[in-house]
Amino acid sequence: MPDVPGGYFGRALIVDVTDGSAEELPLDKQTLRRYVGGVGLGTYLMHRLAPCGVDALAPEAPLAFVFSPLVGTPLTTSAKFAVVAKSPLTERLNDALASSHFAIAGKLSGNDALVVRGARDTPSVVLVDGDGARVQDAADLWGLPAAEAEARLRERLGPAWRVASIGPAGERLVRYATVSHDGRHAGRGGLGAVLGSKRIKAVAVRAATKCPTAHPQRVLAAARDLRQRSFGPATAKYRELGTLANLLAFNAISTLPTRNFQAATFAGAPQLAAEDLAEARSVARNSCASCSIGCEHIYATKGGGQARVEYENVFALGPLCGVSDPDAVLSASERCDALGLDTISAGGTIAWAMECAERGLIDAPWLRFGDGDALLRALDEIGARTGLGDLLAEGSRRASAEVGGEASSLATHVKGLELPGYEPRTLQAMAVGMAVNARGADHNRSGAYEADLAGGHDRLAGGEAQAAAAIVTEDRAAVMDSLILCKFLRGVFADPFPEWAALLGAVTGWDVDGAELRRTAVRIVLAKRLFNLREGWTRDEDWLPDRFLAETLELESGRSATLTPERLRGMIDAYYEGRGLDDDGLPDTDQLEALGLHVLAP
Amino acid sequence: MAAAAGIVLAGGRSSRMGTPKATLEWHGSTLLRRVTGIVARATGGPIVVVRAPGQDLPAMAKGVEVTEDAKEGRGPLQGLAAGLAAVDGRAEIAFVSSTDAPLLHPAFVRRVVGALDGEHDVALPQAGGFPHPLAAAYRTELLPSVQQLIAADRMRPAFLFETCRVQRLDEAALLADPAVAAYDPALDSVLNLNEPPDYEAARARPAPEVAVRCYGAVRRESGAGRSPVVVNAATLAGAAAAVDLELDEHVVAALNGDQITRDPDEPLAAGDTVAFLAADAGG
Repeated sequence: MPDVPGGYFGRALIVDVTDGSAEELPLDKQTLRRYVGGVGLGTYLMHRLAPCGVDALAPEAPLAFVFSPLVGTPLTTSAKFAVVAKSPLTERLNDALASSHFAIAGKLSGNDALVVRGARDTPSVVLVDGDGARVQDAADLWGLPAAEAEARLRERLGPAWRVASIGPAGERLVRYATVSHDGRHAGRGGLGAVLGSKRIKAVAVRAATKCPTAHPQRVLAAARDLRQRSFGPATAKYRELGTLANLLAFNAISTLPTRNFQAATFAGAPQLAAEDLAEARSVARNSCASCSIGCEHIYATKGGGQARVEYENVFALGPLCGVSDPDAVLSASERCDALGLDTISAGGTIAWAMECAERGLIDAPWLRFGDGDALLRALDEIGARTGLGDLLAEGSRRASAEVGGEASSLATHVKGLELPGYEPRTLQAMAVGMAVNARGADHNRSGAYEADLAGGHDRLAGGEAQAAAAIVTEDRAAVMDSLILCKFLRGVFADPFPEWAALLGAVTGWDVDGAELRRTAVRIVLAKRLFNLREGWTRDEDWLPDRFLAETLELESGRSATLTPERLRGMIDAYYEGRGLDDDGLPDTDQLEALGLHVLAP
Repeated sequence: MAAAAGIVLAGGRSSRMGTPKATLEWHGSTLLRRVTGIVARATGGPIVVVRAPGQDLPAMAKGVEVTEDAKEGRGPLQGLAAGLAAVDGRAEIAFVSSTDAPLLHPAFVRRVVGALDGEHDVALPQAGGFPHPLAAAYRTELLPSVQQLIAADRMRPAFLFETCRVQRLDEAALLADPAVAAYDPALDSVLNLNEPPDYEAARARPAPEVAVRCYGAVRRESGAGRSPVVVNAATLAGAAAAVDLELDEHVVAALNGDQITRDPDEPLAAGDTVAFLAADAGG
């Protein structure tokens, strides 16, 4: 074993699926310490391995499954992995997280990351274990839902294998197709289409070794402490009702996006509320591997099926499309799981199409807000790329450009990524967070809504405080997504950076402190920005859709929620200043050198 | 520039009351905390408390500014001048209130501020047969006029009204606002407490009637069900207590679907809806 820190193997395995060859990419101690793992290390790998300007769906485009030093330890919620590639939806850097046994088995195959590049002529799967990598034919799996492909492959290979698979949407290159494992999805940005473009149905991994930590007793003690804290009130929401608890609360505070963001409250919200649905529909509560929170709430669907229910899928397939029938929304969610579709982008694109259809901009008289059958038909057509679905499979940005005219101003995306369920006019720290984030409109990489909902500032105002909040939450996300720890655990950390540094130090043996991890956060955020810059990013991409800057929302209190272009410009400028960027959003040479990023600068 | 600022005059001698009115308690908070909170909610601009030189004030919400009378005991015009100077350049209109108005309602403040059109300099409520210059809205550009009156030792508000355009709002005009008619039908917003019996009478009144809703995990923790619970509470802490909810770091509240707060002293007014949410709202 070479001299590597605890929690690491010091290498990534690069598999060229074109010919099945594999090579090791050594990851030195400095690189690991600078980028940690997960999203951070994945960003580094994309800088190293993705050809500049590569088409996201071209054979040369790499896709990385990236693990982290904490994976495989008893630290709660640490069994997570990042999938990182250039997004076919945004054409910018994209990372998406998923959880559970794939993370542990993948890392214990003896690699800190698995990178797939090249393309097959026929449907195939990639297998990685202690014997290295090989590529096998998988024509029989092509066309299956991800869960079914996963089950069949494990049946064939054996239960020690863990599988990440794509669904039919990924095979058909839907630009917001997911990569799925055990029913969970690395959901955003279309990474399933990247695998689909390589005709790789699944990646299967099997543990072959162990990965020692530097201080096992410290890790064990920290794990016990963290586990105990994870049972407390900071995670009660996730345990008791899951994230769907947001829906009724967000409706009460006018931040529930409705009918393609034409409103921020939805009359049908009570019909979709977790408080009531849980009593009538809940059939199980599950956890990821190594998790003591147990946030997964499984509801029964019409016809005897089951669906994992989260706020984001219910918001996107419910209020955003004007649908209040829980049977329709849960069936739509189940359909997205089967097809392997990101529910947020699917709902966002369909909601855009519904508004276009109602305004006569596209010829689809069957597609109307509130029609659950139309929603399901649209999903099926997207998954099959038939009829209108072939256009909608491109996402709202490309589809609106194709339709032309007013349609573009109705598309609610940032950098091509459809907005999550947070209304930016009533959450204005979130507004700037979504505008500037490298992944596009996103709540997991920029959780500035936390500041809006904490009461520390006026959420209907926008200024330096909001920009500062966007920076703080973006930095925290960068570290959590690289360690990797689940964000549902974030409330248990009173002083996050030093506490995270202590965990990382116990695993790796590094003498790392909170200040270093803060610098690491900045490095990762800027590394993402640098990647986008080399792929053609300009300052104009750090912006919000027209609708939010032209239309005012009226609140129950009598106040109006308005976000003017001038205010947004001011917040973005304040964000740039807070990040040490120039007026064009670019980092300076000294800053890059201090962070060791100058070698990545285009 | 904000549309409206708030000025709360706290510098009076309270000689008839015998104790500083700003510190008097009403259903769980001080009068000053309550009045500044109500005015802040209704105006949205800067909030300035004018105190006597060196006067001690009770705790107030974050962001409330304090300025001082140039001289103590010279009456409301002196306080008005100090307040207008403090908000100069930051708001076009200022709602001016005394500190001894426990029943001041945000709808009343909005009605008065909203009545100040481009043709007038002051919106002056007339209720109970009296004008109420310390429950009125003033154009902030009146500052030089007020300073001239002070320099001439003409210290009564009536002298100011002789020199500017005054929109007098009688009871009918005030009650024409549906929210005022619904939540302050007796126009108690203009009620002042001058002597101990006034204070005792105000304390004998019930706290405002408000509706409380709890969401998600908070609903399970509290005694609230699906429907809103109507309770009497003058502060956020009072509303939480009324539904057996501990207002700790894991809970936040939204008032009328608007601002998020976790300040237990946040004042409530009749007709308010309080939504208690998990503090870790979000995905």
